[in-house]
Amino acid sequence: MEEIRLECLSKDFDGFVAVENVSLSIQSGELFSFLGPSGCGKTTLLRMIAGFEIPSTGRILIGNTDITDLPPYKRQVNTIFQNYSLFPHMTVFDNVAFGLRIRKSPKNEITKRVREMLSLVKMEDQANKFPEQISGGQKQRVAIARALINQPKVLLLDEPLAALDLKLRQHMLIELMNIHDAVGITFIYVTHDQGEAMSISDRVAVMNYGNIIQEGPPDDIYERPNSVFSAYFIGETNLISGEVIGIEDDYVQIRCPDGAGSSFNIDSTFHIQPTLGQELTVSLRPEKIAISRNKPRYQDDINILRGVIEDILYLGSHTQYIVNVGALKIRVFSQHKRVYFDDTALDWEEPVWLFWHDTDSWLINEIPENVLTVDEISEGGINHYQRSIKRPAIK
Amino acid sequence: MKNLPSANPNYALQLATERRKNFTSWILTAPALLWLIFFFLVPYLIVIIYSFLTADIYDVKFEFTLDAYRQSFTPAYMHTFYLSFRLALLTTLLCLLLGFPVAYYIARAKDKVKNNLLIFIIIPFWTNLIIRIFSWRIFLAYNGVLNNLLLGLGLISKPLEIMRTDLAVILVMVYVYLPYMILPLYSVLEKLDWTLLNAAMDLGANEVKSFFRITLPLSKEGIFAGGLLVFIPALGSYLIPQLVGNQRSLYLGQVITYKVKNIPRNWPMASALSLTLLLIVALFLLLIYFLYRRGKFRKQV
Amino acid sequence: MKHCSLGRFFKGMNLTVFTLVMVFLYIPILILIIFSFNDAKIITGWKGFTFKYYILLLENKTILEAFRNTMLIAGLSTLISTILGVLGALGLEYHKFNGRKLFSALIYVPLVIPDILMGVSLALLFNFTRVNTGMLTVLIAHITFCVSYTIIVIRSRLEGFDYSLVEAAMDLGAKPATIFWKIKFPLIMPGIIAAALLAFTLSIDDFIITFFTSGRGFDTLPIYVEGAIRRGTITTINSLSTIMIGLTLLLVVTTKRIRKIVISSL
Repeated sequence: MEEIRLECLSKDFDGFVAVENVSLSIQSGELFSFLGPSGCGKTTLLRMIAGFEIPSTGRILIGNTDITDLPPYKRQVNTIFQNYSLFPHMTVFDNVAFGLRIRKSPKNEITKRVREMLSLVKMEDQANKFPEQISGGQKQRVAIARALINQPKVLLLDEPLAALDLKLRQHMLIELMNIHDAVGITFIYVTHDQGEAMSISDRVAVMNYGNIIQEGPPDDIYERPNSVFSAYFIGETNLISGEVIGIEDDYVQIRCPDGAGSSFNIDSTFHIQPTLGQELTVSLRPEKIAISRNKPRYQDDINILRGVIEDILYLGSHTQYIVNVGALKIRVFSQHKRVYFDDTALDWEEPVWLFWHDTDSWLINEIPENVLTVDEISEGGINHYQRSIKRPAIK
Repeated sequence: MKNLPSANPNYALQLATERRKNFTSWILTAPALLWLIFFFLVPYLIVIIYSFLTADIYDVKFEFTLDAYRQSFTPAYMHTFYLSFRLALLTTLLCLLLGFPVAYYIARAKDKVKNNLLIFIIIPFWTNLIIRIFSWRIFLAYNGVLNNLLLGLGLISKPLEIMRTDLAVILVMVYVYLPYMILPLYSVLEKLDWTLLNAAMDLGANEVKSFFRITLPLSKEGIFAGGLLVFIPALGSYLIPQLVGNQRSLYLGQVITYKVKNIPRNWPMASALSLTLLLIVALFLLLIYFLYRRGKFRKQV
Repeated sequence: MKHCSLGRFFKGMNLTVFTLVMVFLYIPILILIIFSFNDAKIITGWKGFTFKYYILLLENKTILEAFRNTMLIAGLSTLISTILGVLGALGLEYHKFNGRKLFSALIYVPLVIPDILMGVSLALLFNFTRVNTGMLTVLIAHITFCVSYTIIVIRSRLEGFDYSLVEAAMDLGAKPATIFWKIKFPLIMPGIIAAALLAFTLSIDDFIITFFTSGRGFDTLPIYVEGAIRRGTITTINSLSTIMIGLTLLLVVTTKRIRKIVISSL
């Protein structure tokens, strides 16, 4: 089995740079995801690997073979299309058999292999139906069988679950993982849904404006984002900017203006080498913050802020609080376990203490051009935010 | 069923509403329906009756005879049928051959351009038929534009005799009927999901294979519709053979017209030939219908 | 680049065929237009520019009368067949209408039968009933072949009609008559215009059915032109044709609205 290497891959459409100088290698048998908002270039990247787009510059290699210039039908790469693209004039069986028939495999072998594939995706009894007669989830399975029967070295999946409803999506996600384990080939998965990417992938590449922003295992990206974009796009976070005012052995102190004239200090462990007076951003995941009406008694290595609850959103598994600290709004997720701090529920307008451990915040050596308010975040401000981080590269 | 319809107190009301709506529908459709019965169906009944009557110089004698049919199946008339059938078939095939790439090209053009390209196809179609045929006469005539041009360029030494040949008939037939083929083809190709072609190529089919296995089967409906729109009128065409063809090879439309327009008239012959043409058309429609249904039918299994 | 050379070949082929077909479609028309300004009695070659035939055309009483007849027939048959079409399409709207199948079948049959058969059968009808052929018979014939088209075009517009709009209007307190005139009628108006336009075009263009149903002394333009071609008096036909092409172009190209309607009704 061979790895896939993308070398300095770029693609521009009439001056619009969709993918910019991407270099990456994907191990064989890996389940790798490209994650990013729409228009970030992830689909273009996938289409280049599949052979539907010719890269403007750069090379694509599978093992030691350069496949950059090969047409799609000569690559050992198959694709699951977003809308499945099942041939409407063929039965499920004929759809799955398509690749083998093109290669003129013997008839009995086709029958045997198609049966095998259909049983892998649990569609044996639907073989004679037409695509219009089966459900979305079933179409998905047929699409998978149709691709895998060609024994590709790589399977490309372009937002394969986007057209399914939530429950089915979760179910298919597990199924996809099982299929991946069963066939053992490389899967390259493209999605804008961070939940999907996080749960299914061995490694994830976060993309924005044609560039790979960060690449690594899901937990790495979530816990240790390298940029404001990564921190913001994956999961939810509070981004607080400030100036470094003290550097100790194992933590730095940052003074953060609260937007209302005063400021507070945050202590944080660090992985970058900050200098005094430097501006940087603290990423603080809402679930890492504790919220209570009592000040914590144990205060070593703990940041403590005083705020007032502005909003409470009951979300079933947890409650989201929006707490005003000065003019800054900080989001806090609190699970419904009352054993630790309070016996009674917190209320609107109630003054509360927020506290978290030094090691639970993460420093990012980057300042967002404009800090988002909670309102913008809740209005799906990601695109707005994305815009503020990096201008599109248009020549 | 727990509630019988009659036991439902609203049933009477519902029935009354339905009856009223039904009555309104009859009233609304009545004018068009009666019109079509009087001026479309009844004339055919008369055609059937006339086909069994005896011909007279100007009119008919009301004496029953099978002469008209007997005559219709003599070799001379069979040859006419053969010529018309050949012409219609050739026209349809040539229109398909030329129309498919054009429809494909328009369907794959950018959205902004599409409508303009379509209009370019439609404009000649909206121009008067006779005028278009007439312009071909100017173009193809012995001393016409084409010959003058070719002579001037030195490509030929003697004018080509294209006018008044079967070639001219075919050429003008294709010219006139081409839009009827392009438009239905376009409308299916426009709806074709292009990612299916990507999928086929992804699965190992090159352009040729994906055309024959995906594009062509999926544009079947357009091919049938276009075939219908070209083949049927072509079978009965009069004007084109009359204006650019010769009198040696007469087509069905011409023969029928002569039987009605020329003296001595022969209404029974005209009727019998028309009914035979109608029968051919009906058979052709059935054929298309079954070809079309076969694809659909498999889906029900 | 060697990549997808086959695809490029097909693309090139399509473009080539498209261009050739465009040339094929327009060359004769262009020649006609150019030659309408040719100062020669026959069509041999270019003898200089002239407007002579346009003036001759305007002085030709027969042509002017044929033109008048054409417009009269086209206008009347469009009006009547569109009214019949609107009524028929509305009648077909009710799904439980027990004459639906019969009527639907009846409107589609004329479309799939060669025109000449309608010509022969109507000629026979008028012969059988001893009606003098003339304007009335031509008008009847034209309405007969237009009515199927108008019903079908308007019906397709009605089928795309969003019934929730009617419900919304009812919800807001509109009475059935108000609903029809304020909601339904304006929304199917494009369909009606498209139908009328189609009927008008079909009527102007028709030769064969008119040929069978018109008597001596009642010529429409196509009938006149055909006769003129047969008689060989063709000099004015170039200019006549050019004017007719010009009118078509004017109608199609300048009015974006009509263009949209035509395309949406295809």
